[in-house]
Amino acid sequence: MTPTSLQGGGPEPTARAAVVSVAGPRARLMFQSQTSRRLAFGYLLLAPAALYVLLLVGAPFLFSLYLAVSDANVGDPVATFIGAENFRSALEMDVFWIALRNSIVFLVVAAIFKSLLGTSLAFLLLQDFPGKKLIRGLVVIPFTLPIAISVLAWKWMYDSQFSVINWVLSRVGLIGQYGTDSWPIWLGDPKLALLACIAVNVWRTFPFSAIVLLAGFTSVPLEVLDAAKVDGCSFFQRFRHVVAPMIFPILMIGFLFDTVFTLSDLSVVYLLTQGGPANASKILPVLAYQIGIQAGNLGRGAAIALFLVPLLAPAMFLFLRNLRRREY
Amino acid sequence: MATVLEQKVLSQKQKDRRRHLLIYAGLTPFVFMAVFPIYWMLITAFKQDPDLYRMDNIPFWFNLAPTLRHFKILFYQTNYGAWIINTMTIAAWVAVITLITAVPAGYALARLRLPAAENIGISVFMTYLVPPIILFLPLSRVVAMLGLQDEWWALVVVYPTFTIPFGTWLLMGFFKTVPMEMEEAARVDGCGYLGAFVRVVLPVSLPGVLTAVIFAFTLSMQDFLYGLAFVAPGDQKPVPVGVPTELIRGDVYYWGSLMGAALLVGLPVAVLYNFFLDRFIQGITGGVGK
Repeated sequence: MTPTSLQGGGPEPTARAAVVSVAGPRARLMFQSQTSRRLAFGYLLLAPAALYVLLLVGAPFLFSLYLAVSDANVGDPVATFIGAENFRSALEMDVFWIALRNSIVFLVVAAIFKSLLGTSLAFLLLQDFPGKKLIRGLVVIPFTLPIAISVLAWKWMYDSQFSVINWVLSRVGLIGQYGTDSWPIWLGDPKLALLACIAVNVWRTFPFSAIVLLAGFTSVPLEVLDAAKVDGCSFFQRFRHVVAPMIFPILMIGFLFDTVFTLSDLSVVYLLTQGGPANASKILPVLAYQIGIQAGNLGRGAAIALFLVPLLAPAMFLFLRNLRRREY
Repeated sequence: MATVLEQKVLSQKQKDRRRHLLIYAGLTPFVFMAVFPIYWMLITAFKQDPDLYRMDNIPFWFNLAPTLRHFKILFYQTNYGAWIINTMTIAAWVAVITLITAVPAGYALARLRLPAAENIGISVFMTYLVPPIILFLPLSRVVAMLGLQDEWWALVVVYPTFTIPFGTWLLMGFFKTVPMEMEEAARVDGCGYLGAFVRVVLPVSLPGVLTAVIFAFTLSMQDFLYGLAFVAPGDQKPVPVGVPTELIRGDVYYWGSLMGAALLVGLPVAVLYNFFLDRFIQGITGGVGK
């Protein structure tokens, strides 16, 4: 990165240039040693964080690549290289394909609902009204509550017999009595289990979508909008040419952030259904956990987890690009 | 003249009121959706068992007198007390590790004009996005190598893998907002680089440092996978892992105790996180320090 590296050794124009020009070579020597001292100090400060991240994120990531091509087991510390065997046998498992499909359905359906809900909520919260702070604080609770804990509340609300959702539906007359066919068993019915899990993800993340959208809207300075108005832009033109380009990078980042977390989160499905009944709600992270830890097959588990990478990579790439664009 | 004006003001007020009512009407379903599960947990935690498990009453209020029995069970018959202590100790250690690594790193990247500082910063932040599901299997080996399997210490080692990247990124943005002149003045007064950092920049950056601590704490609480995979003994778990794995025994659910256990820790964390949510959003959308 040339601009940054130039800047790195670069002069602080006023003060330093003056020193150098007045005092000549000796001062330049001092300035140089000062630069190297500054850099040494900088790297020293950076080192602990960089080492931690390299040792416990970088190295494990590479190690997971190695695990995926080995026959590593929980009980057996010596692993041998077996090539693409883990990937091949994963592709031959029916449950792998089910999990892959479920993961994609989960991601897409959840994204549709959370963007609809998030957008409407954001437009409401954009208005001015008394008690806005309080209402905003209440509405974001699903996102701030630790996930394992809120999933428990849902597990209770989805209870096969004492589900409060069913109680209401039954009183309103939409479903029949407990024990009849029209009484939905949310987590036990193969047709409903995945949807029930998706609903929890939507519930948890729609406030996040709304807040990100709000952050986008409020990042558009009013003066810019006014200037566009003065220049004769219609409402639609202002939206198309001023608001949209300004909020798009933020939306993108929020969207991708959510994609990464939705695709890789196992807690909702694991705690609600463990992927059941009969794999109906199995998603890739749950499968990777069950094979890697519960069945002890580290190699195959790592291989399955790595199948998430091609799904995540485009998201990560776009994230990186947007992040950089916003920085400058 | 005056009455016309008054009328105008009045009708403006009425208009406002009508608009507000409309907004409240629109917001009601959202607030209901967000808060109902919490309310449901709360009331479940204080209901007597016979009141919980019946269908003929209206379940939204107490049909029998409220009880503290579920909490007694939690504290006397389960490891809940130990989990709370584990959670707090883990969070404290994670916060310390995050601080002593992320504060200097954020400062170095923001202020010391290192070559490619911006790119290093972005790379560090990107590691925050490497999902635990990809790292937990290799990390289980690391944890075993360190001899920490089945102790909560494993989580103290592992949680900084996401708190350090986020903390560094957050603090990098924060340090950028501290005026450069302060350091320059300190250096003119004879402080070294370290002196300028410790004595001048750090004291004015305490709000940022505090924010990083809060996130070290709340982000640790959001984890489930690492705790599930690395800590098996019942008394070593943190609350978010212990409650769903230990309080559910087979098919028997103690819903009252479960909800009480979940809320007692979850709600304070949610409230704390709530106050810092905007910082979090700013952090991930890259708008730190603008």
